[in-house]
Amino acid sequence: MKALGIINFSGHHIRVEGMQDYRPIGAFSFLGRYRAIDFPISNMSNSGIDQIQVYVNQKPRSLAEHLGTGRHYNINSKRGKLQLLFSENGAENSLYDTDIAAYIENMECIEHSTCPYVVIAPSYMIYAQDFHDVIKTHIESGADISLLYHSVDNAKEAFLNCDVLNLNKQKGVLSIEKNRGTAKNRTIFMDTYVMKRELFIELVYKAKKLSSMYTLPQIINVECDELDVRGISHRGYFATITDLKSYFDANLALMDFKNVQSLFNEDWPIYTKTNDSCPTQYFDTADVKRSIVCNGCLIEGTVENSVIGRGCIIKKGAVVKNCVLLSETEVGEDVYLENQVVDKHARIIHAKEIIAQSEKPGYIRREDTI
Amino acid sequence: MKQNNMLAMILAGGRGSRLHDLTNKVAKPAVSYGGKYRIIDFPLSNCANSGIDVVGVLTQYESILLNSYVAAGRRWGLDAKDSGVYVLPPREKADVDLNVYRGTADAISQNIDFIDTYSPEYLLVLSGDHIYKMNYAKILDYHKANNADATIAVIEVPMQEASRFGIMNTDETGQIVEFEEKPQQPKSNLASMGIYIFDWKILRKMLVADMKDPESSHDFGKDIIPSMLADNRKLCAYKFQGYWKDVGTIDSLWEANMDLLAKNNTLDLNDPSWKIYTEDTTELPHYVGTNAEIKGAYITQGCHIEGEVRNSVLFTGAKVGPSAKVIDSVLMPGAIVEDGAVVTRALVADNIRIGANAVVGSADSDHIELVAKRVKGEE
Repeated sequence: MKALGIINFSGHHIRVEGMQDYRPIGAFSFLGRYRAIDFPISNMSNSGIDQIQVYVNQKPRSLAEHLGTGRHYNINSKRGKLQLLFSENGAENSLYDTDIAAYIENMECIEHSTCPYVVIAPSYMIYAQDFHDVIKTHIESGADISLLYHSVDNAKEAFLNCDVLNLNKQKGVLSIEKNRGTAKNRTIFMDTYVMKRELFIELVYKAKKLSSMYTLPQIINVECDELDVRGISHRGYFATITDLKSYFDANLALMDFKNVQSLFNEDWPIYTKTNDSCPTQYFDTADVKRSIVCNGCLIEGTVENSVIGRGCIIKKGAVVKNCVLLSETEVGEDVYLENQVVDKHARIIHAKEIIAQSEKPGYIRREDTI
Repeated sequence: MKQNNMLAMILAGGRGSRLHDLTNKVAKPAVSYGGKYRIIDFPLSNCANSGIDVVGVLTQYESILLNSYVAAGRRWGLDAKDSGVYVLPPREKADVDLNVYRGTADAISQNIDFIDTYSPEYLLVLSGDHIYKMNYAKILDYHKANNADATIAVIEVPMQEASRFGIMNTDETGQIVEFEEKPQQPKSNLASMGIYIFDWKILRKMLVADMKDPESSHDFGKDIIPSMLADNRKLCAYKFQGYWKDVGTIDSLWEANMDLLAKNNTLDLNDPSWKIYTEDTTELPHYVGTNAEIKGAYITQGCHIEGEVRNSVLFTGAKVGPSAKVIDSVLMPGAIVEDGAVVTRALVADNIRIGANAVVGSADSDHIELVAKRVKGEE
């Protein structure tokens, strides 16, 4: 069954300190080579969805540049379509900056689609999922709406900005509420929906009528009694990017190769825009362990349990431990870095050591020299 | 054609038989190099970076992979309107017998009709199997400034090796007075790089005459250049400085890869102003395991290293298992070195598996061992 793919932005309750000043979460670098949005777009493309709308509500430059024509996502260049839909509704008050407002603003594009279904996925969560299977399950169950969830056992300290689904034994959704960190075991809502396109349009208008503050999960929560809303469980690697810590953790969790295998699969490629960087060069003084390293780097120092983005320079005597280095950063001679997220083009050359605790990783600004 | 009215033709039909098993199924220009590239990425990227919009690629030997590879011109950005990479294998034409390309010049002659459709002022003839970075716009400027009929790029080689090359003897102004193919007593050390710029109108006439000459071997070096000199045409030598390598043998292919391990090596593939473009793969960035040991290496996407790598180049998707050692070696795309295996001074071909605890190559061998068949390990 044909579905229209919709990729949503993060709500205004989510804020990633530092990083988000420069770009929307969907454009965040992930594992150096990717951007967060590559995951939902690749999931859709691999599932045979070739009409994809990407919604963005702030600083669209980096996303527009990254998505381009969408050709690198393996979407048919004639029959397929990747649209970037920009909306800016929070100028007078951020409470107006909702997903519903963005859908209303671009309703034409949603109404003109001929796909009977919609699949909505967030740009700020990282997972692999065959949406074709989800649509099939949805149709077979006869549900009005299907919501994807992931069961976790650390909801007290993680996923605090996310919603949870309250499910009955038959996976019926009783309600959607905020994760308030009151229980360890929760079913985290992955902000991923499948429903008929017509129902989606109806819900958008209904939400708008009830309150300008309403979001899609809120209107579905209201409708839970009237509609047949069901949960579908997701397995495999799952991470959300809702603050700096979760961004840091989402990257470093993949230093465990078992997690790499659970997110990446030869039959389920994750597409991204190539940068044509040459391979990475290791010199005799290099000492790299348990890390993921992108192309174009020059490594003379020590790297441990870290993500090294594209084109980074790590000089002799430098130590990079538990860090996420975005592309083209430089770590000077004998500099010691621990538990840091280093934004693009930053150069750490004068500081001797910058250390944070893994519970509260540090952030080094883009283009900064320290 | 808008930028400089020069069309490029890349000669990519050669087999490269001294590369043995590496060129059993692919032509030499399609052989992998430098972790993620194929050799033909170099002339194609040079063309794209030099502002040349139309490139013809003359293929012949085992051309299935090469044809489909170069046809995707967008890899090198050669896909704008009025731009493209055209694959030109020998073809049947009305009123002419179907012939394979009998020589480098014949390959161009058989495509005069193709070149004429663009009516270029200049024709750039390149070889598809050399590794170097060159701005062809500069050699065109030199050609125009000299008002030459043809300009040939040359590189200084050590005098004792000059007898292996086509040597250009020039006067004090850089004008070529004599060309000698592999001279026993070389008079100069200026070797032809197989890079020619011709005035298309002049070359066209010469090619038409050459096609009818039963004595000709239809080769640029042996026939066209000598007859241009005999006609008193103005041929100039353009001195190129920089990295240039013709990788004819397994040893030289290995060596060219090893050249990339030197700090500040002259090929400098990391230069953002002159990138070499290649096929985009969906492989992950490379993963380095907890017990890995990497000293002196050139490593690309898709590699997974758990063991030890020293002074080696690892191509896309190469894997080194726990306790395995890869020393002074080249692992071509998808090569796998299983747990405990030791690879020394070897070139492991595409997708070849070296079994657990197997030992391949040796530190004191004269030549580099080519491993083109699966090596069984201990079960």
